[in-house]
Amino acid sequence: METLGYLIDGFGVALAPHNLMFALLGAFLGTLIGALPGLGPANGVAILIPLAFSLGLAPETALIMLTSVYAGAMYGGRISSILLNIPGDEPAMMTCLDGYPMARKGKAAEALAISAVASFMGSLIATVGLILLAPLLARFALTFGPAEYFALFLLAFATLGGITGKNPMKTVVAACLGLMISTMGIDSTGVQRYTFGVLELYEGVDFIIAIVGLFAISELLFFIEDKAGGGKEKMTVNKLSLKWADIRGIMPSSIRGGILGFIAGVLPGAGASLGSFIGYTLEKKVVGSKGYFGEGDPRGVAGPEAGNNGASSGALVPMLTLGVPGSGTTAVLLALLISLNITPGPLMFTQNADIVWGVIAALLIGNFLLLVLNIPLVGIFVRLLSVPPKYLLPVVTMVAFVGIYSISNSAFDLYFMVAFGVAGYVFRKLEIPLVPIILGLLLGPEMEKNLRHAMDIADGDWTILWDSGLAIGLWVFAGLGLILPYIVGPLLRRRMKAATGTGGPEGD
Amino acid sequence: MTFNDRIFGVLLIALAVAYGWGASQFPEPFGGAEGVGPETFPLLLSAVLALSSLYLIVRPDPDNAWPWSRTGIELVIAVVVLIAYTALLQPLGFILSTLLAVGTLCWRMGASPVRAYVTGGVAGVVVFLVFNFALDLALPLGPLSLLEVS
Repeated sequence: METLGYLIDGFGVALAPHNLMFALLGAFLGTLIGALPGLGPANGVAILIPLAFSLGLAPETALIMLTSVYAGAMYGGRISSILLNIPGDEPAMMTCLDGYPMARKGKAAEALAISAVASFMGSLIATVGLILLAPLLARFALTFGPAEYFALFLLAFATLGGITGKNPMKTVVAACLGLMISTMGIDSTGVQRYTFGVLELYEGVDFIIAIVGLFAISELLFFIEDKAGGGKEKMTVNKLSLKWADIRGIMPSSIRGGILGFIAGVLPGAGASLGSFIGYTLEKKVVGSKGYFGEGDPRGVAGPEAGNNGASSGALVPMLTLGVPGSGTTAVLLALLISLNITPGPLMFTQNADIVWGVIAALLIGNFLLLVLNIPLVGIFVRLLSVPPKYLLPVVTMVAFVGIYSISNSAFDLYFMVAFGVAGYVFRKLEIPLVPIILGLLLGPEMEKNLRHAMDIADGDWTILWDSGLAIGLWVFAGLGLILPYIVGPLLRRRMKAATGTGGPEGD
Repeated sequence: MTFNDRIFGVLLIALAVAYGWGASQFPEPFGGAEGVGPETFPLLLSAVLALSSLYLIVRPDPDNAWPWSRTGIELVIAVVVLIAYTALLQPLGFILSTLLAVGTLCWRMGASPVRAYVTGGVAGVVVFLVFNFALDLALPLGPLSLLEVS
């Protein structure tokens, strides 16, 4: 009941005309970003954060806009999967399986509409799940002490490589590098650490610069190396002839996919790739030999799309309640929260209730907007797919430059961003994941603070870190998070590969 | 071949040692030493990094090929363009430096020079107008400020 009251207040925030306008803008931009090959949701949100700052938006408005971008990008990812057989990101891989065959049969419009409806259902189910689960988890998280938080952060890092990650040890390396960067600057006792006397480093490294550099600039460099842009046969979109029966036919698939996706999203480290994968395999199992999967079965489009979008909303649960993001994009959203001076975590639900519930309400509204946007406007997004990346990526890079520049007006930050871009390129070459670096940068100060508090409480006795049952549980899960990828990861990757016949790009 | 991870691992161990040594040199904070001083967390990190890098040296992954040949030169050009863009942003102004930077990038990525620099110019003017008038954020104009209507 309490929740309902908050939610109604949240709708009050989200339905304010200017917030609604920014939600619409975000949904549109997000779909665009998702649709364009080479730009994933994490990239898109990262590039738009500096712009949101330079606009001087109120915290809830900025958050509403960027969650809409996030949701939109998850919607948009399917467009290039269906029309070009190029998944925009890893979760979209499964949509290629039946989406592209549908498009080849001249049913591109139906495939796009079905995927839009399924995405909507997936997000809707997950948002309802978020509304029910988040307050409970937040209340539970209030019982955490500093030692539990310290263990929770370790859990976040351990599971971040995710079961689709390749070498868990590289996740550890990446997390360390991020944490090390986070120690630069003046610490809480007033000691200068690793500033090398450079004035710009006294306040530490701004993670927005790191994020934009690591994601956007390294993407440009990667593209130059690939040069794979354009030249793909483009599908023409037929006139949509969708009957109610078609939509009814995919409803069960969407609902199953959405529920599974939500669970996959909430679980740390599992994320959208797993969501879309199990969404697809479940459909295949349930429908059995009556289906014609791989040859353009609409249920094969609906299942993974609902799973994918359910997972992306589900990933907001740990991010909002514990301050621990489960995916790259939620890590970027966390960066936004921190830079808005909002400490994510259980307290946010009491201290910034209007913001949390405003965002959740905006997510619901955003999904309706996306559904409305996506069915009639799909032609526009399709046309934008034909913009060759050789023009697009330089312009996007320039927008990232302007965004950073307009925050600080400092050339130093831009040089730093380029340096991060080059480092990001080298890391990606070495298969060092970038998201743990970002997460290290974000969580480093909190992690150190909690370590300090725990030790103060225990008078310097290290055993406090694994003193409570809860803390031990978190340590065990963290350990599992590091070990499981060795066992489950290759299995899942082999299956996804066997199912799609491709390796696919790096994931969410 | 498994050289990449090994070389990277060695570099990281060097980093871990340097970082840990740096931490041990921090001055004692005002008010005396504490249970957890400014050096504790960095020392932990340097230990974890050293151990995990050791693993990379012992159990490296197969290498990805580096683009040594022409593509490598293109990459260097791109980075140089980005650095030059940063350096020229203030003196040359936003529109001109964007024209040059975006144009050069598009051109090097395979667009015809004319279309590339037209794209750069249009992008520069559009973004400048949006930032200056719609968002009220001043971007440097450089020599073009002569054109400004006061």
